[in-house]
Amino acid sequence: MEKMTSQYRWGMVVDLDRCTGCGACVVACQAENNVAICGKKEISEGRNMHWLRIERFWVGKYPDVRARFLPVLCQHCQDAPCEPVCPVYASYHNPDGLNGQVYNRCVGTRYCGNNCPYAVRVFNFYNHEWPKPLDNQLSPDMTVRTRGVMEKCTFCVQRIRRAKEDAKSENRAIRDGEIQPACAQTCPTDALVFGNMADPRSRVAILSRSPRRFRLLEHLGTHPSIYYLKGGGREHV
Amino acid sequence: MSEPILPAAKSSSQLNDEMLSSLRTPTWSWYALALFLGAVVAWGLYAFGYMLTTDMSCTGLNRPVMWGVYIVNFVFWIGLSHSGTMVSAILRLSRANWRRPILRAAEAMTVFTVAVGGLFPLIHLGRNWVFFYLIPYPNQRGLWPNFRSALLWDATAIFTYIIGSSLFLYLGMLPDLAVARDRSSGWRFKLYSVLAMGWRGAAREWAIFHQASTLMAALIIPVAVSVHSIVAWDFAVTVIPGWHSTIFPPYFVIGAIHSGVAAVITLMIIIRRVFHLEDYLTPLHFDNMGKLLLVIALLWSYAYFVEVQTTWYAHEPIEWEVFSFMADKYAFLLLFMIFANSVLPIVALCFKRLRRSIAVMLVVSVLINVGMFIERFLIIVPSLSHKNMPFVWGTYRPTWVELSVTAGAFAGFALMYTLFAKCFPMVAVTDVRELEAQKSVVRLSRTRLQSSAEKE
Amino acid sequence: MEVLGIFSDKESAGIAVEHLIKEGFVERQITSLTSVAYPDGVLVRTEQRTWFRWFTLACGIAGAGAGFLLAAGTAWLYPVKTGDKPIIAFYPTGIVTYELTMLFALVGTIIGMFLEMGLPTLRKRVYDPLIAEGYIGISVSIHSGGEAVACGADVLPRECIGAVAALPPDEQASRAEEIMKAAGAVRTIAEDRI
Repeated sequence: MEKMTSQYRWGMVVDLDRCTGCGACVVACQAENNVAICGKKEISEGRNMHWLRIERFWVGKYPDVRARFLPVLCQHCQDAPCEPVCPVYASYHNPDGLNGQVYNRCVGTRYCGNNCPYAVRVFNFYNHEWPKPLDNQLSPDMTVRTRGVMEKCTFCVQRIRRAKEDAKSENRAIRDGEIQPACAQTCPTDALVFGNMADPRSRVAILSRSPRRFRLLEHLGTHPSIYYLKGGGREHV
Repeated sequence: MSEPILPAAKSSSQLNDEMLSSLRTPTWSWYALALFLGAVVAWGLYAFGYMLTTDMSCTGLNRPVMWGVYIVNFVFWIGLSHSGTMVSAILRLSRANWRRPILRAAEAMTVFTVAVGGLFPLIHLGRNWVFFYLIPYPNQRGLWPNFRSALLWDATAIFTYIIGSSLFLYLGMLPDLAVARDRSSGWRFKLYSVLAMGWRGAAREWAIFHQASTLMAALIIPVAVSVHSIVAWDFAVTVIPGWHSTIFPPYFVIGAIHSGVAAVITLMIIIRRVFHLEDYLTPLHFDNMGKLLLVIALLWSYAYFVEVQTTWYAHEPIEWEVFSFMADKYAFLLLFMIFANSVLPIVALCFKRLRRSIAVMLVVSVLINVGMFIERFLIIVPSLSHKNMPFVWGTYRPTWVELSVTAGAFAGFALMYTLFAKCFPMVAVTDVRELEAQKSVVRLSRTRLQSSAEKE
Repeated sequence: MEVLGIFSDKESAGIAVEHLIKEGFVERQITSLTSVAYPDGVLVRTEQRTWFRWFTLACGIAGAGAGFLLAAGTAWLYPVKTGDKPIIAFYPTGIVTYELTMLFALVGTIIGMFLEMGLPTLRKRVYDPLIAEGYIGISVSIHSGGEAVACGADVLPRECIGAVAALPPDEQASRAEEIMKAAGAVRTIAEDRI
């Protein structure tokens, strides 16, 4: 089978040396993608809906304790374990290398959620609601998911679609930096960089060749599209 | 209904009467039992309905433990179904004569446990009302299920197994249905007439019937093996530490037979007591089933040892974390499981006197199934609780909804079994009588025949 | 036309069969109706070869085709990429093919068995509920000499119709009944006696 039929292969670079753990990306993602609002109850039950989480680890011994942050979102694996286990093709691989998730196909077997080693898939255990006037903030570009379906980061596929349409109408390819997912757009330290990995001159591709690069759980052979950068120096936070 | 004229130690009519006693008009205690079981089923249905109409937050599931007691139930019930048909088929093929009174109870158990088990993947769905998305049929949605998913293999295998084991049950019952037909009247006569298909017991019919029984037995065994292998693959094909293990399919098949044989023994004890079949289900049967159970308990212990031992030695950190978490948080369950599945049966079943004691066999067989339920829980939950990303480790505790549905499933199985026992011959009448007949046909009529007693 | 005699024991049933054969009926015309199986030859001898297992095999092969088409064919018609797995993947196709092969073979066995037994019959055939109580039925199929008879493959009509076929059917039937009564039949039943 031909592996790629598109000139794009979307990917991201997360520079951990730049990340301050401020959480702006989490909020931006939540606002952009109509992610359900979860309170203390849901989060303590392990049913929070965040598509992007900042994992915080404490390293060192008191008094020299430092925080280390790891933003984790869907890794958009090329060999995604979540995809083939879905019995109804709700989770599939699109030609741009994205991990698609079709909400209205999903029957809620939660098999994909189990088989995701990064645990970035979130399930609508609750029938989430947006009481007025919160419903005014819902993005019209995104569906609102019902209870019983799985959802996850899409790399803001609605922005990618829009950029593709714009580019098509102007008869050109998408320019580097033209698309920014909400998280990358919001990041104050520019720790998140999004772009086309298939273009070797794109910023994201150049960064992904950095000697500081690594990928999460690389030993599993999932081939994530997200590269993390981490130098050997001391944590600065 | 007919006059017993036949002179014999125990005439055919007497044998018929005793073995078909379950078909007599129900007594009030039967109605009371059916009502009680029905009430528990109704409660389970209410709990399911509650989950269906509100949302899944009433379960104990969360991220990362997205599969819980429902899937434990699924594996448990499909496992139980195994010995029914499989043990019956193996005993048929090996021509073990002591199998005859056990057959029906075992085969019927298979059909009902698969039926119950097959419901759980649907109960477990987040959107149960669109379960038909999983069925491959041309539809206006332009959707087709994904056969690369292990869940579709499950669906295919369980469909095959439920059809196959129902046919196997029906095939074995065909001559018995004819006997029941000839001894009944009213609606029962109509029912049995239709099901007996006009069976007269002609010599040619018997010849074909025997060949068909053997062939069905030979065909159903590989299906049974494949069904539980596929259930194991649901776990083994994933990348989850603790699940991704090549020993899972054979280990699951052994575990399935372990719980299944134990369940057959439990049911034999109940049926023996309720229908007064002490003459047909004798200590000899429990002795033989006990030996079988002993072998399987040893196999199970071996498989479990192999699985844990390799992980312990390699000490791969992510996988070892799952095991140490399990041994820490679920220490009591783990010890109980090892005791009930391995230590107790291996010790107790070594002694002939204990194998022949109905009370001991009841305790051992019931505890094995408790242990096997725990085993499935310990396979599913700890692996999900401590997956690769320590930041999203979690725990799981089933809620009243999940426990009620589980209780409903047990009651539903018992209810179906009770109804079946009232409607269909619970002991393979003709099979048992055939043995009696063979024992007496030694030097008879036109030929000399070696008696089956001599053969043994 | 069929005549059925009901016997209370194997010995008298066996005697009846021997006398019927002496009278000129052939083994193929005579069968036993019993509620438990007797080994071949104790009462009557019957053909032991069967063809329904070939039917099972044919169904199994059809099932393999169906399973392959279901797994591989539909995946090919509906290609969606998942997890870098090939559209027509070896193991899943093998598993589904296997399951459907077994399903078709199992169903085929039952269908083939009933086809070969000739069940269910729409026509009402002679029978007696006493058979369920351990009595033995000996049944003789009666054909007249001029009757076209399907005796099965590789069997000539003279092998499946006895020498007494020269007599009219009613006469044959009453002879058979007499023989069976003499051998100790509890009762005899004849089909559509006009």
